Amino acid sequence: MKKLLIGLSVTASLLSNTVLAEDADAVAFREAFLSGTATWEDVQARAKEEGTVNLYYWGGSDPINIWMDQIATAGLAELGVKLNPVRITGTKDAIDLVLAEMNSGKGLGEGSVDAIWVNGENFATLKRQNALFGAFADKTPNSVNIEWNADDPRSLLNLRDFGVETGNAEMPWSGEQYVCAANTKRVDRADLPATFAELKSYLEINPGKFTYVKPPHYVGNTFVQAAVYAHNPDGTGAAPFQNSIGDVGAEELARLITPGLEYLKALEPHLLGAQGGNARYPEDIGALDGLFLNGEVDMACKFGLYAVATGLNNGTYPEGAEAFVFPTGNMIKNKNYLAIPANAPNPAATLVMADYMTSVDAQVTKLKFTGMPPGVDPWKLSDEDVQALTEASPGLIGVTQADLDANTAPDTNATLVDVIEATWLEYIERDSTDSIDVIVARAVENLEK
Amino acid sequence: MWVQLMPVLAVLSVLFGGALVLAVMQSLGFAPWFGVNTFPDLSYFGALWGSWSFWQSLGLTLYYAIVSTGIALVMGILLALAMVRIFPGKSLYKYLYKLPLMIPYTVGIALAVIMLGNGGMISRIFAFVGLIGDPSEFPQILKTHYGWGIITVYVWKQTPFVTLTLYAVLLGVGRETEEAAAILGANKRQIFFGVTLPQILPGIVSSTLIIFAFNIGAFEAPFILGGGYPDTLPVVAWRYFNDADYTLQLQGMATVVSLALIASAILYSYLAFYRSFERRIGRN
Repeated sequence: MKKLLIGLSVTASLLSNTVLAEDADAVAFREAFLSGTATWEDVQARAKEEGTVNLYYWGGSDPINIWMDQIATAGLAELGVKLNPVRITGTKDAIDLVLAEMNSGKGLGEGSVDAIWVNGENFATLKRQNALFGAFADKTPNSVNIEWNADDPRSLLNLRDFGVETGNAEMPWSGEQYVCAANTKRVDRADLPATFAELKSYLEINPGKFTYVKPPHYVGNTFVQAAVYAHNPDGTGAAPFQNSIGDVGAEELARLITPGLEYLKALEPHLLGAQGGNARYPEDIGALDGLFLNGEVDMACKFGLYAVATGLNNGTYPEGAEAFVFPTGNMIKNKNYLAIPANAPNPAATLVMADYMTSVDAQVTKLKFTGMPPGVDPWKLSDEDVQALTEASPGLIGVTQADLDANTAPDTNATLVDVIEATWLEYIERDSTDSIDVIVARAVENLEK
Repeated sequence: MWVQLMPVLAVLSVLFGGALVLAVMQSLGFAPWFGVNTFPDLSYFGALWGSWSFWQSLGLTLYYAIVSTGIALVMGILLALAMVRIFPGKSLYKYLYKLPLMIPYTVGIALAVIMLGNGGMISRIFAFVGLIGDPSEFPQILKTHYGWGIITVYVWKQTPFVTLTLYAVLLGVGRETEEAAAILGANKRQIFFGVTLPQILPGIVSSTLIIFAFNIGAFEAPFILGGGYPDTLPVVAWRYFNDADYTLQLQGMATVVSLALIASAILYSYLAFYRSFERRIGRN
């Protein structure tokens, strides 16, 4: 219904043939800030006038909601900005709203979304639709906490989001790594799989004791990507998946992903519920956590460097849960970001908010209360700040930081994610009889429409 | 009279009518705000109706809707017939049976998950007393394509609704005709099929119409309690809407419009059939 209404308002405005109206004052401010002529004091002064910042984010996690309401709101109030946290069930809702408002002629200073917690395909959509505020992320005072030097390979996650260049239009806010946890009360640590082949043999002995979140949910997509990397026929892992679909081409992509998808197809009869004839893929992380907590599955994989510690702490993980290294060499790591849309109503207040979010204080409390790993880069911080972050960390259980660092892989390019996800849906969920190259070619064609 | 009708008409034509027109236009390829405008374009319907999974989804949607409407109707009739009798504790029972009406569907769904799931109360009690070794060995009730979970929630919520409607009808017609039939020598069966049923038929038709229309378009229960692919049509539409590739929203609109067409065809023929039956037996 909401979408219908948005669509309706869009049509109404299309019919009246409006042009993009912009608040001239806000546009002048944007130009001044992006060109570096506005000082941070100017930003702060304007932020106080604007007063409020509307941050849209996925509201499915209680610890994050509490942190927003109690800590971030208080911290920003000290800076003269009122944080209005808008909780949404899917990030895409905020993207839809921004695009609908822009198309109905609402430009800078007139929209309703100031900032979105975002990454991957949703950011790629904003970028493709030219709906971003501009290259702000390296221009705030706290941006010194982040590595922007492209010559340093460690800056990759700040400059590219799922392989898409961020153009500094989003602020790195949080880091994550795809980590699997096992219930060691049910599985002996020695029996834990380290590779996809071992996972399959484990499930042949213990049928139904594993499943993964259903694509197109990003947590499910990531599992599929890890399987695809590990089965790369050239043995080059994640490397060829860093380029966009235009560079890779449908034929080559089909060749690269075929072994991975065939593995997943062969895995399906061993997944949860498949013994009853119908493999069950949970819809989201909440459902997966529930299966893991109830002992319906022995292992669960999701983004969550500190998920085991936080899960044990708030009772959403079973006692005996421990992280383990899986799959060797392909534990996907990424960051998530705060993006400012091109029609943000309060641009200055949003910049102040983004700056606050990357301050060491905010990063420390966020890590402590929510277990979300820092988005700032430790080598850019002072020793005391690193110490503060280490102390705030809920801690790793079952793996060491060295294990995780040694098995890191980058995310897949956002344009390829769409194709791989469509192929999974077609080949595995719908049991299509077409061959993978036909499915991939069709998916690529659909996306280009 | 038009002045009195205006507020309702305005809301209906602007909000409902406007949304409907827009949904139909989008499903025919009109979405310039996504950079898509191939109006009029039947390819979205073609792609949808041409795929076997659409018909599977439609079958599942109708199966859940019809089975739960049927069960709720039978139970509702039995309950309503019992309610007009006098029995001890009736005044308390009169309030008790309405309880599910006041509880939202989502709570009913949550109850089903907590009670009937593989990690739910019943499976844990079974494991606790040693009937099964592990809660996860409990037979799977939810998340299968038999849809016992979905049907349970619908029946639990809709039986009181049917009862309430039929009970009101029964109170309105009184018991005189039934008593007259009994005096004339009709047995219980004859009384029910010859006297009571025709009297409550309008109530049966209107209540089943309402719950069937709800069941066919409902999203939460099949989404949370359903068995995954193939999904019911509302869930399929939601998946299209929720995909990061927003051009799929047009496919989603085609799904929604198809569902609306099918539902209205079914409801219209049901009503038309009932009207003709009424005329045949001399009522109108």
